[in-house]
Amino acid sequence: MSPYFILVPILVPILAGILLMTFPIQDYKTRAVAVESVVILNSILVFVLLLNRPAERLYLFSFVEGLPLTLNIDGMATFFGGLVAFLWPLATLYTFEYMRHEERVNTFLSFYTITYGVTLGVAFAGNIVTMYLFYEALTMVTLPLVIHTMTEEAQKATRKYLNYMIGGTAFAFIGIVFYSLFCTDIEFVLGGNLDVANLGEYANIALLVYVLAFFGFGVKAAVFPFHGWLPSASVAPTPVTALLHAVAVVKSGVFAIMRLTYFCFGADFLKGTWAQTVVVIAAMVTIVYGSTQGVRENHFKRRLAYSTVSNLSYILLGVTMMSPLGLVAGLCHMFVHAIMKISGFFCAGAVMHQTDKNYVYELDGLGYAMPATFTALLISGLSLTGIPLFAGFVSKWSIVQALLEQPSIMGYVGVFVLLYSALMTGIYMLSINVRGWFSGGTAARQDSARFHDPSWLMLLPLAIFSVITVALGLNAQALLAFVQSIATGTF
Amino acid sequence: MTLVQNFPFFCIILSMFSAIISFPMNHRWAMRVHLVMVTVVLALSLCVLNYTASTGESYTFMMGHFPAPWGNEIRIGVLEALMAVFFSLIMLLSVLGGLAHIGRELKNSRKNLFFILLDLLMSSLLALIYTNDLFTAYVFIEINTISACGLIMIKKEGRTYVSALRYMVMSLVGSSLFLIALTLLYTITGQLLMSPAKEALAELVAAGEYEVPMLVIIALVTVGLGIKSGLYPFHTWIPDAYGYTTPSASAILSSLVSKGYLFLLIKIFYRVLDFEFVVSSQVVNLLFMLGILGMIMGSWLAIKTQNIRRMAAFSSVAQIGYIYMGIGLGTTAGVVAALFHIISHGAMKSLLFISISGLSEVSDDKSDFESLKGAGFRNKLAGVAYTVGAMSMIGMPLLTGFISKYMFASAATTALQGKMVIAWIALAISTILNTVYFMGSVLTIYHSVPAEQRKPHGMMPSRVESVGTVGLIALNVGLGIAATPVIQAIQTGLAIFG
Amino acid sequence: MIALLIPVLMPIAVGVLLMVFPPRQRKIMLAVVFAALAISLALAVGVALQPEDALCLTLGTVAEGLTFYLQVDAVGKLFSVLVAFVWLLVGLDAFEYMSHEHDEPRFFGFYLIVEGVLAALCYAGNLFTFYVFFEVMTLTSVPLVMHELTHEAVMAGLKYLFYSVGGAFLSLFGLFLFTAQGAELTFTAGGVLDSASASGVARLAVFLMILGFGTKAGMFPMHGWLPTAHPVAPAPASAVLSGVITKAGVLGILRTVYYVAGPELIRGTWVQYAWIGLTLITVFMGSMLAYRENVLKKRLAYSTVSQVSYVLFGLSLLQPVAFVGALLHVVFHSLVKNGLFLSAGAIICKTGKTKVDELKGIGKEMPVVLWCFTLAGVTLVGIPPTSAFVSKWYLATGSLASGIPVASWLGPVVLLVSALLTAGYLLTVSIDAFLPGSDYNYAALEKHEPTWQMLVPIVTLTALAVLLGVWPGGLTALLTNIAGSVL
Repeated sequence: MSPYFILVPILVPILAGILLMTFPIQDYKTRAVAVESVVILNSILVFVLLLNRPAERLYLFSFVEGLPLTLNIDGMATFFGGLVAFLWPLATLYTFEYMRHEERVNTFLSFYTITYGVTLGVAFAGNIVTMYLFYEALTMVTLPLVIHTMTEEAQKATRKYLNYMIGGTAFAFIGIVFYSLFCTDIEFVLGGNLDVANLGEYANIALLVYVLAFFGFGVKAAVFPFHGWLPSASVAPTPVTALLHAVAVVKSGVFAIMRLTYFCFGADFLKGTWAQTVVVIAAMVTIVYGSTQGVRENHFKRRLAYSTVSNLSYILLGVTMMSPLGLVAGLCHMFVHAIMKISGFFCAGAVMHQTDKNYVYELDGLGYAMPATFTALLISGLSLTGIPLFAGFVSKWSIVQALLEQPSIMGYVGVFVLLYSALMTGIYMLSINVRGWFSGGTAARQDSARFHDPSWLMLLPLAIFSVITVALGLNAQALLAFVQSIATGTF
Repeated sequence: MTLVQNFPFFCIILSMFSAIISFPMNHRWAMRVHLVMVTVVLALSLCVLNYTASTGESYTFMMGHFPAPWGNEIRIGVLEALMAVFFSLIMLLSVLGGLAHIGRELKNSRKNLFFILLDLLMSSLLALIYTNDLFTAYVFIEINTISACGLIMIKKEGRTYVSALRYMVMSLVGSSLFLIALTLLYTITGQLLMSPAKEALAELVAAGEYEVPMLVIIALVTVGLGIKSGLYPFHTWIPDAYGYTTPSASAILSSLVSKGYLFLLIKIFYRVLDFEFVVSSQVVNLLFMLGILGMIMGSWLAIKTQNIRRMAAFSSVAQIGYIYMGIGLGTTAGVVAALFHIISHGAMKSLLFISISGLSEVSDDKSDFESLKGAGFRNKLAGVAYTVGAMSMIGMPLLTGFISKYMFASAATTALQGKMVIAWIALAISTILNTVYFMGSVLTIYHSVPAEQRKPHGMMPSRVESVGTVGLIALNVGLGIAATPVIQAIQTGLAIFG
Repeated sequence: MIALLIPVLMPIAVGVLLMVFPPRQRKIMLAVVFAALAISLALAVGVALQPEDALCLTLGTVAEGLTFYLQVDAVGKLFSVLVAFVWLLVGLDAFEYMSHEHDEPRFFGFYLIVEGVLAALCYAGNLFTFYVFFEVMTLTSVPLVMHELTHEAVMAGLKYLFYSVGGAFLSLFGLFLFTAQGAELTFTAGGVLDSASASGVARLAVFLMILGFGTKAGMFPMHGWLPTAHPVAPAPASAVLSGVITKAGVLGILRTVYYVAGPELIRGTWVQYAWIGLTLITVFMGSMLAYRENVLKKRLAYSTVSQVSYVLFGLSLLQPVAFVGALLHVVFHSLVKNGLFLSAGAIICKTGKTKVDELKGIGKEMPVVLWCFTLAGVTLVGIPPTSAFVSKWYLATGSLASGIPVASWLGPVVLLVSALLTAGYLLTVSIDAFLPGSDYNYAALEKHEPTWQMLVPIVTLTALAVLLGVWPGGLTALLTNIAGSVL
C-alpha cells in the first residue's frame, strides 16, 4: 500500500469535523447517522491500512533541517492506532444518547471527530517532531470539548487543563530539541538513535533532558505532581472524560513516553542511570497517590479519574523498567486499562445521565434498578482490582514479571506498591457495587425503582467491553504475543 | 555595477521622496503613494536578495563620489536584503490590515501626516539596515525615533501624549548614549565608516591599548540601543506606546521599530567591534541575563493586565527578551536564532495587533477582556487570526513561533552548558507563561455568549483589512512550514556580515 | 478428565439459576437446594474413590506460566468430602433457620455457588488455580456475610472483603516472587523448589503466603475481620465460614509449604520460627478473648481464631506426628464448630437470645440442643475419648518430638492453657444452661426445641465429633500416609 494512504485516516475525520462545523446538521438522527458513518468508515480505513502496512514511511516536509515530518506504521503505531480505531465508533455511539439533551451538539461532535484524526496522527507519527505536532494539536482540539458545558467550573477546569498541557509540552520540547541535535537519525527506531558514542560531556545533560521530557509528556499521562488537571477535567461531559481522558489524551501521554524511552533515547542508554531511578520513583509515587485519593474521593467520576491517574503509572512502572518485558507490560496494561476504564466511565455516565446522581453515597440500592450497568461496573471494578479471571490480572501479572526480572530493591518495592494500589482499588471500586446491591435496605431500593438502565446505544458498548474484559482474563495469549513482537522488534 | 545593485539606494531615496511629496497631498493620495512605495520597495528588495544570494558576497555602494574611508557607504549582503524584504512585507501587510482604522480614528488633517511618518520610518529602517557608516546610523536613529514618536501620538488624545513623552525621554537617553559611544570611537580610531573602524580597533586590541575605553564603548552602545529596543529593565515605555495608538501603528511599532535598533546592534557587534571581542568582554552575559529577565517579567506583567493591547505590548517585551537571550548566548547559532526571531516576531506581532483591532472594532471599540467576550464569533476572521497568532506565540508546530523556539533551543546547545540549561528552562517557563495569557485570551474571545452578542457591535470588517489579515496568517504559516530557505539565507548572510 | 468440572459447575449453575429464576414456592426451592447438596456429596465421594492418576484436568492457559489445572490428590479428596458433607448438614439446618429471614433465594444461591468454588479450590492442581478460586471464594461469600443488609452487616462484609483481598494480595506477592524465581507451581508432594539453592527471597515469599492465606484462617495479625464478620452473618453462614472457609486458608498454607515450597525450604529458618510464634500467639489470644466475650456468636468466632491456629501450629512444626494432628483437627474442629454455631443459631432462632448471660436455664428449654452444645464443648476442650483429644494428643506429641528449641515444650503448654480457657468459655455456658440456680423462674419455662431440620444436623455433627474420637483409626491411617508423602 502506498505510504500516502497513511494520511487518509488522519485527514478524513479532521475534514469531516470541519465540514460539520461549517454546515451544521440540525436533525438529531441525521446527524448521528452521518457522524457515526464517518467514524466507522474511518476505522475501517485504519484497519485496512494496518493490515496492509506500507513498506516505507511517508515523508511530508521538513520544518527546518533536521526536523522532518514523517508518518510511519510500525508495531507501536499498529497497536495504538488499532486500539483507537476500535474504541472510537463505540464511544461515538455512546455520545449520541448522552448528548441528546445538550446544546451545541454540532460543535461538540465536530471537535470530537477532529480529535479522532489528530489522535491517529499521534499514533502514526514517524518521529518525535511529528508526534509533538499532533500532541500539541490534540490539546488544542480537545479544549472546546472540555469547556463544552460553559459553566464556571468548566472554564476553570479548561484553563487548568490548557496550562498544564502546554506546560508539559514546553518541557518535552527541550527533549525534542536535544534529541534532534544529538541523534544519528531522528526517525523512531526500537533501541533509539541517540548518538551515545559522541555524547561526551553531554551524557549527563542527556539524562537530565530525558527526565524533563518524561515529566513533560508525563503531564498528559497524569504523573504526580502534574496530575491535577485530570480530576478537574471530570467536569466535562462523560463521553469526553471517557474517551479522551481514559483513552485518547492520557494514552497519548504514555505512548509518547514509550516512544521517547524505547524509540528515541533507547532503553539500554537509560537503564541503571539516576534518570531511571527518578522516573521509577515518580511512577510509584503516582500509583500510591492516585489510589489513596481514589478511596477518599466521593464524586463518582473524580474517583474514576484518580483511578486513571494511578493506572497510567502502572503502565509507566512497566515502561521505566527499561527492558523488553517492561515495554510488553506497559503495552498490555495500556490496552487492558483502556477497555476497563472506558467501561467504568460509561457506567458512571449512564448512572449520572439516568439519575442525575454524582456522588457515590447517593447510589444505594441502584443496582436493582440498573442491573446491566452495575454488572458492567462490577466486571470493570474486579478487573481493575486485579482479580484473576479478568483482564486486569493479566496485565498486572506482566508488570510484575517486568519488575522482578532482575532482583532489585526497586522491583520489590514496585510489587508492593502495585499490591497496595490493588487493595485500594478494590476498596474504592467494589464499595460502589456493594452500595448498589447491598446498601440502604428496601427504602433505597424502592426509591430507585423509578430509574432504569439506559438504551442500547449506551449498553452495547458496555456489553462489548465487559465481554472483552472477561475473555482476556481467561486467555490473553494472543494479546501478549502481539505486544511481545512489538517489544522485541519482530513485528 | 549592475542595475540591481543600485536598488537599495533607490529604496531609501524613494521612501524619503515619498515622504516629501506627500506633504501637500490629501490623505487618499498620501495613502496610495505610501502603498505603492512599500510595494516597490518590497519588489526591489526581493531582486536585491536574489542577486546577493546568487553571488554569495556582499558589496559596498558608495554614496556620492568620496571613496572610503572619507565618504559614506552602504553595504548590501544577503542578510541585509533579507531584512529589507521582510520589513517592507510586514509594513505593507500591517498597513493594509489597519487601513480602515486609519480612516476612522484619525482626523483628516492627520491622515497624510500618518503616511508621511510611515514613509520616513521606512527610509530610516532601510538606512539602518544598509548603512556602513556610524554617523549615518546615528542620524537615522534619530529620524526613526521622531517618526515613531509621531506615530505614537498621532491620535492626539491625552494618553498618547503621555506615552509619546515617556517614549521620547527614554529614547533620547538611548540615542545620547549611542552618540557618546560614537564620539569615543571616533576619538580613539579616527574612523566613522564601519569596516575601517573595525580594522583600527583590531590594531588597538592587538596593541593592548585603550582597553577601558573600548569596554565603555561596548557598554554604551549596548545600553543605548538596548533602551531604544526595549531591553528589560528599559521597557517601561512599551506598553503605553503600543497600547494606545492605531492598530497599524502598534503593529509597525512593535514589529519593526525596535527591530531596526536590534539589527543595528548586531551589525555593530559584527562589523565594528568584532563579535569574538564582544563575547570576551562579558557584555553578552549581561545581555543574556537581561534577556531572560525580560522573557519572564514581560510575560508575568502580561498575565496581570486586563487590556488586550497592553497584554500584547508586554508580550513584545518578553519577545525582545528572547532576541537578547539569543545574542547573549554568544555564539553564531544564537545570533542566527535572534535574527530569525526578528523576522518571526514581526510576523506574529503584526498579526496579533491587526486581529486585536478587528476584534475590538466589533465590540464597541473596547479593548478590555470583559467587553471582548465572544468577539471571536462577531468577527470570525479576526478570531481565527488571533488564535493563529496566539498559537504561534506559544510555539505550536506548523507556525513560525515553533521554528523560533527551536532555533533558540538548538542554539543553546552551542553555548556553555550552564547557559544552555538556563536558556532551556527559561524557554519552557516562558512558554507556560505565554500560554496562560495568550490561550486564556483565546478562550475569552470564544467565550460562549447569547445570540444577540454574536452580531458585530460597531464596525463591520472591511475587505482590505481581510487581505492584510489573511496575508499575515499566510506569512506565519509559510514561515512555519518553509523556514529552511530563510534560515539558510540568514546563515550565509551572517557569515559575510562582518 | 472433564468430569472433574461437574462437582464445581453443578452447584454454581444451580445457585445462579436459583437467583435469576427464584421458585415461587418455598418447598420447591428447598427441594432443589437439598438435591443439589446431596448430589454434591455423592460426587465428592465418587471422586474420592477414584484412583489418583485419572484425576487431572488442564483447562487452559491465560498467559505463559498461568495455567488452570485441576488435580485431585489425597488432601484434595479429604477436604472436598469434608466440605460437601458439612455443606449438606448445615444446608438442612438453614431450611429452618432461614424460614424467618428474607431473600432466601439469594442466600441459598450464593451458598451453592460457594460450595462449587470450594470444590474447585480443593481440586486445584497448581498455585495459580488455587489463588484464582481463593479470590472468587472471597467474592462469592461476601453476600453471605452481608445477608442481613443492616448497616452493621454491610460494614462487616466490607471489612471481610478488604481484609481478604489484602490477604490475598499478600499471598499474590509471594506467588509473584515464586514465579520470578522460575518455579513451576504445580502441587507436588514434598515441594518443587530446590531448598539447597533457595534464596532469602523464596523464604520471604513463603512467609508472605503464610500471612496471606493465614488471613482467611484468622491468624494473627490478620484476624481482625473474623470476630466482626462471623457473628453478623446468619447462623448457617457463620457456621460454614468458621467451620469450613477458614480451612480454605489452612489448605492454602498447606499447599504452599508442603506441595510447592517444600518443608525443607523453611525448616529451621526465621520463617518457621515466626510462623510458630504467630500461631501460638493466636491460640492464646483467641481463647483469652473468647473467654471475655459476652455475645455468644462472637465468643464462638474468637474460639475459631484460636482453634484454627492449633492446626496452623501443627503444620508449622514440620513434623509428621504434628502434621497428622493438624489435619485431624481440621476435620474435628470443623465438625465441632459447625455444631456449636448451629446450636447457637437454634437458640437465636427460637428464643432470640444472643448473649451468654441471657442463657441461664436454657438447657431446660432446649435440652437436645444444649446437650449437643455441651458434648461439642467437651470435645473442643480435648477431654478423652472425644475426637479433639486425639488431635491435640498428636499435636502435643509431635511438638515435643520436633526438637525445635523453646517451641517444643512451649507449644503443649499453650495448648494446655488454651484448653483450660476453652473449658472456661464453653463449659460455663453449659453449666449455666442446665443449672441455672435458685432464682430461675421455673414457672415460665417453655419448650423451644427446634424441628428435625435443625436437630438432625446438630446431632449428627456432635455424634461424629465424639465417635471419631473413639474410632479414629481409619482417618489417622489416611493422614499418616499423606504425612509420609510430604515429610
